[in-house]
Amino acid sequence: MNTPSQTWDTRKTALELPEEIDLQIEVANVGSRTLAILVDIACCAFLLLVGYVTVSLLASNQGADWIDRFGSSAITMLFLLLVFGLQWGYFNFFEWFWNGQTPGKRLLHLRVIKVDGTPVSLIDVLLRNLSRPIDTFGPMGLIGLLMIFVSRNAQRLGDLMARTLVIHETPIDWSVFDAIEAATAPNQNTPVPSVRLDPAQWELLQRYLSRRTQLQPDQRARLAVSLQANLKPLVRGTDLELSPLPSEEWLLELARRI
Amino acid sequence: MTLGAFVRKNRPRWQKLETMLGVIETRGPRRTSRPFLQELSALYRSTTGDLAFAQTHYRGTTLLLFLHQLVARAHHQIYRPHRLTLQIACSFFRNDIPQAIRGHLQAVIWSGIVFLLGIAFGLSAVQFDERVALIILPTEVLNSIYSGHMWTESVFNVLPGAVSSTLLFTSNISVALFAFAGGLSFGLVTFWVLFVNGFLLGVVLKLCSKYGLLGVALEFIAGHGLLEISAIVVSGGAGFVVANALLNPGSWSRADALAVQGRSAVRMALASVPALIIAGCIEAFISPSHFPVWFKIVLGLVLGGLFWLYLLLTGESEKQA
Repeated sequence: MNTPSQTWDTRKTALELPEEIDLQIEVANVGSRTLAILVDIACCAFLLLVGYVTVSLLASNQGADWIDRFGSSAITMLFLLLVFGLQWGYFNFFEWFWNGQTPGKRLLHLRVIKVDGTPVSLIDVLLRNLSRPIDTFGPMGLIGLLMIFVSRNAQRLGDLMARTLVIHETPIDWSVFDAIEAATAPNQNTPVPSVRLDPAQWELLQRYLSRRTQLQPDQRARLAVSLQANLKPLVRGTDLELSPLPSEEWLLELARRI
Repeated sequence: MTLGAFVRKNRPRWQKLETMLGVIETRGPRRTSRPFLQELSALYRSTTGDLAFAQTHYRGTTLLLFLHQLVARAHHQIYRPHRLTLQIACSFFRNDIPQAIRGHLQAVIWSGIVFLLGIAFGLSAVQFDERVALIILPTEVLNSIYSGHMWTESVFNVLPGAVSSTLLFTSNISVALFAFAGGLSFGLVTFWVLFVNGFLLGVVLKLCSKYGLLGVALEFIAGHGLLEISAIVVSGGAGFVVANALLNPGSWSRADALAVQGRSAVRMALASVPALIIAGCIEAFISPSHFPVWFKIVLGLVLGGLFWLYLLLTGESEKQA
């Protein structure tokens, strides 16, 4: 989890809600959008391959009776429709039925929304996807890439036309708060001198406690020492200041007092 | 309030909202109960309050990031556009498409002019030097024309009607949609698509007339030609509408002009889809068959006429803004 920072590849755009709040939305960057497109193209290619193998196995005009010929022409027709459908319908279909997501976008946690934050309608989906031959596929993709780089909200031409944005949705994981809450919980009725952490310090402690089990032992100890050095000024004048506890225990003890 | 106390106090509420969002995202609002929706909207509103508080007091924290995500997801569910119903879809074809065409007749006329220009160039190119055809037509087609046969005879004898009709209408729809999308290239691609298709038609016609096939070729085209060309011209017009928004946005910004005009342009482009499916079926089943000539001509005129009547006269007239 990264802190929100304004670097070239994390762009945010403000949505003003009717509730009078500026909602910060993270716009998807070039890398994840390109990757999502590649995943989708791979899906299409796989379906095409399956279709092609089926056709070459089943359809032949050498059939003896009319049933054979009818069947093989039906299969050829379905294959033609498949090619056409993948070319023009794949993105439209998924973005409409999956509310702005295709398999590739779902994999990378991207979603297409309107610039005002509402879900896309069918006509928006058609507008942004029928324009793909001009700014996504083949060498034309360079135009789309350039547009995503330079336009303020990373919109390619089709996005501008449909007034849509592609956003990145960070998955919410409430369990990151579990560790610090577990450390804090037991002291509800034992009166200990309470320590006040400011939000940044609380964030630091929370991240350390939720992640310490995943760290290498030496890294874990080193981080604990540096955190202790940072947080020590807070406990000046309490028994914790001179406490001989090792760093990690000391941090847990601190968490118990907030 | 410290951040720790804030999280401890409100976390159950946020998690409740998150699970409810999970339910409504998979099921849709229609298959949830009224109390469910009321609770969802109450939770949404209280969470926006929490977000505002967190924005003031807890900048740069994981919690703020989560609250942004949560409120965005809830907003997305609560402010939804109308569901697409059959009624809206019907009204789209009855009113929206003809209105879009009538609003942009000029672009359609320009598109027709470019297509005619292509035909004229094709005709005169073959007149000037017959070898032009060598460059743009496949050899089988050329050979059958040189030997005095329509190439369609061999093509349609090999392919069953169902296959060739699908082949025809999918490739035609691709051309039409490409002409629409080409508007984003300031109309260059649209121009090229219209011109090349007209050019091909011109070359084929002139070549056929040189080898005494003009009558047969016109008979072949009679059934579907008018409808097919009309549809391509209309979606070329859609491309020019987009190009015009980019080149000549008037008092709007270019982005706004593109968004507004794009909306009517895609309607124009969609008008061509059903027309091209019908044209493709006629081209595969009726045009190469032995129906009498008058039948093909009447059919072609009626279908083409109906298409233009639909676009120009049906549906509600534009509301005065």
